[in-house]
Amino acid sequence: MPERDEELILDRLIHEPGRLAILTVLSSVEDADFVFLQRTTGLTKGNLSSHLTKLEEAGLVEIEKRFIRKKPNTNVALTAVGRQRVARHWSQLERLKSLSETPATAVAGDHSSSR
Amino acid sequence: MNMERRELESAAATYANLKGLLGIPGGLLAILAALGNWEWGPLRHTWVFLGVALLLGAASLLISRYYAEHYGRVTLSRAQRRRAAAAVIVGAPLMFGAALLLRSRAGWSLDLPVNAIPASFALLMLATYAAAAVLRTHHVIIFGSLAVAGLLPVWDGADPSNTGLVLVGVAIIAAGILDHRLLVRTFGPPKGLKLSNAGA
Repeated sequence: MPERDEELILDRLIHEPGRLAILTVLSSVEDADFVFLQRTTGLTKGNLSSHLTKLEEAGLVEIEKRFIRKKPNTNVALTAVGRQRVARHWSQLERLKSLSETPATAVAGDHSSSR
Repeated sequence: MNMERRELESAAATYANLKGLLGIPGGLLAILAALGNWEWGPLRHTWVFLGVALLLGAASLLISRYYAEHYGRVTLSRAQRRRAAAAVIVGAPLMFGAALLLRSRAGWSLDLPVNAIPASFALLMLATYAAAAVLRTHHVIIFGSLAVAGLLPVWDGADPSNTGLVLVGVAIIAAGILDHRLLVRTFGPPKGLKLSNAGA
């Protein structure tokens, strides 16, 4: 596969809409708790919990469990790797979008010239 | 999915700006300050005013807790926090400076009886929303009307500063209620989701 196409292969872990929403919210803040992520993503408690577990296992987020006024509170922050990967993912999506908007003739011409 | 990319990226800043119920104690404090200056009822005693101010401070803490429990806790990025701090640090002296300037130039030099406090406060709020947050239609209507009311040369007679403070208080409360309504529309009603903070 040409290197150019390989750059456009999307990260399946991040591309799932729920996980992409979580990572996008976290990319613009220092940290956020479980309720805020539920509010912004609209995910159910179970779905959000399972997505966060997958993202933590992949090293994209850090989860801190703490107590605030004797109530459990789950706080989530993006890791440096997570920040890089979500930024890369969005730039890939932007490139794919711009490619899809390029007229078909221009893409065909581009392919024939690259052979 | 509830929101698109830009909305998701700005969700935390939107949330911080739309915690409008916090405006109610702030607005009441401005009104109480005016009533205290007028020596109205028990507010003529300084200790009563201080006690009420403390109560309003406690109410602010309760409102903050309400937002944290129903809409969550979020720490803004360093850049966002720096921008908010800059708005306060630059804005407060700017407002007092503008009020003094307006009072001296319009009131004394041009002999125009304007009300400097609501006018300068409204202009500051409009500038702050435009620079550090999002200037929404209701902000333009409320603070625009406040600015116009303050700049109209109809404030003859006694010092209009206290009436200006009342107008400022009413404007803060009105904008706060509308901000909160927008927050509910954006993030859902307080009891809309099965919320839990013990997830993952």
